[in-house]
Amino acid sequence: MASIDVALATISFKRKIAYKTTWLFSVLFGGWSLLAGLAVWSNLIGDGELGGYDWQSMKAYLIIGFLTSTLAWAGADWEMANRILDGLVAVDLTKPIDFQRARAAEYIGGMAASVPAAVLGTVAAVLIFRPAPPASPLAAALTVLSLLFIFPLAFGINYLSVLACFVTQRYLGIQWARDCFLAFFSGMMVPIALMPVWLQGVAWSLPFVHFTTTPASIYLGRVDALGGLGLIAAEAVWALGLWLGGRLIWNQLVKKVTVHGG
Amino acid sequence: MADTSTPGRSLTARHVGGVYGRSLVAQIRAITEYPADFWVMASAGVMWNVLQLAFLTVLFAAVPDVAGWDYHEMVMLAGLLSVAAGSTALLCDGVWSTGGMILKGEIDYRITRPAPVVVQVATTHIGMQGFGEVGFGLVMVVFGWIGAGLGLAAVPVGILGILCAIVIEGALITVFCAVNFWIKGPMSPFAFMLIDLQNSAMNLPLGLFPAGVRIVTMFVVPVAFVNFVPVAVLTGHLSAWWLIGTPLAAVASVLAAVGIYRLGLRSYDSSGH
Repeated sequence: MASIDVALATISFKRKIAYKTTWLFSVLFGGWSLLAGLAVWSNLIGDGELGGYDWQSMKAYLIIGFLTSTLAWAGADWEMANRILDGLVAVDLTKPIDFQRARAAEYIGGMAASVPAAVLGTVAAVLIFRPAPPASPLAAALTVLSLLFIFPLAFGINYLSVLACFVTQRYLGIQWARDCFLAFFSGMMVPIALMPVWLQGVAWSLPFVHFTTTPASIYLGRVDALGGLGLIAAEAVWALGLWLGGRLIWNQLVKKVTVHGG
Repeated sequence: MADTSTPGRSLTARHVGGVYGRSLVAQIRAITEYPADFWVMASAGVMWNVLQLAFLTVLFAAVPDVAGWDYHEMVMLAGLLSVAAGSTALLCDGVWSTGGMILKGEIDYRITRPAPVVVQVATTHIGMQGFGEVGFGLVMVVFGWIGAGLGLAAVPVGILGILCAIVIEGALITVFCAVNFWIKGPMSPFAFMLIDLQNSAMNLPLGLFPAGVRIVTMFVVPVAFVNFVPVAVLTGHLSAWWLIGTPLAAVASVLAAVGIYRLGLRSYDSSGH
């Protein structure tokens, strides 16, 4: 990693925590979804089970979802979008820095700013709600590894959605549509196991599933060590595919940029 | 620093309405210049609702009811929330820019113009995802309405519920965006929190949640009156008396929005001071 990447990531990190109150509240309120999820699934599961999840494992599932969503939604996607919407991208084209790589550094820097709060929130949730423990020490280690891939995956998905700003005037709608896709197909809204088989097929063929279902399945032992490694390999392939896809689409969309009508 | 009104000139409702209407029409004209933008955003709004419907369909394939509510009743609940949120995007999406305008000092210019600042800010943009959200949201309401066995006699109550839902939603988002006057930042985390709270909890029966949540959502931040109370009254989960609270909540929300925005403008000190 070049020093320029570290510098851009550091700037993004500092920018994220510059407005401390805003930053603190945005992280704190992420816990609301977790509490709502716990209330709903506690009522639905009771003493039984749904989709192979009993109450203890559902608590673990929801807490993993809280951790991954806090990380996934903490990046600097608005900053990326505004560069395109405001036309700053035209200036970026004159700089001797690769646009995608620079934005990746900034995005990861922004995500890193949320790590301490996300970890603290998760530890607090574990201590309060006492979810099921990991299936084995190996499962715990593989879960951590699978969580690390959320960084490149989140950037890849966000970068692709931000590129849509070349053809739109506003980012908010794109952001909400993407977040909804992520919430549904990751299994945050409803576990993939409850979906009909064809929809499960759709979910597993998309990258979103690796944000909640993959780490939760590894953690709870719903897949064995080999299966876990397979899922992590799939995450790696998606991270690479999204990176290359982003480059391909950028090359097409950047032709839309006009400077002073020229 | 400033008030929402301009000294020496009374702002009649007609004048304010005229400014609002003209500003919104100008935005609609701008939309027609960017058809691709319109279709991308409207599709995003539809997609949001399709996935909400998919969530409920998947959930109800596994469980017969959620806290006594059946599938069609919950589709109505989600549909009404979507209509309210989408209408807000169409009618006052600009309030989301309040935080950014405060940071950049862009409120200065608007204070000097003879129209309420909140109206000028609210009409700086139209959230085109709102077209999709309102359209598919209404489809969900009608689908749930028919499925829940509600007849034409309940239509006036439904219309009242929809109108109040739109007013409450828009006013509450304005209130939470106005927090940026005191807690500076380019984003509006409090307004996002409101949306997050609604998407997490208000698509579900309130009976699932502890009493504290019910009290807050009904009497402190009255989001329950956006969709839960009207649908609960229509489907018989709450007594008809609760319906009185819906227009009251609408009036209270509007007063809060105007008052808090006004207070915010008084403490506004432009950028860099």
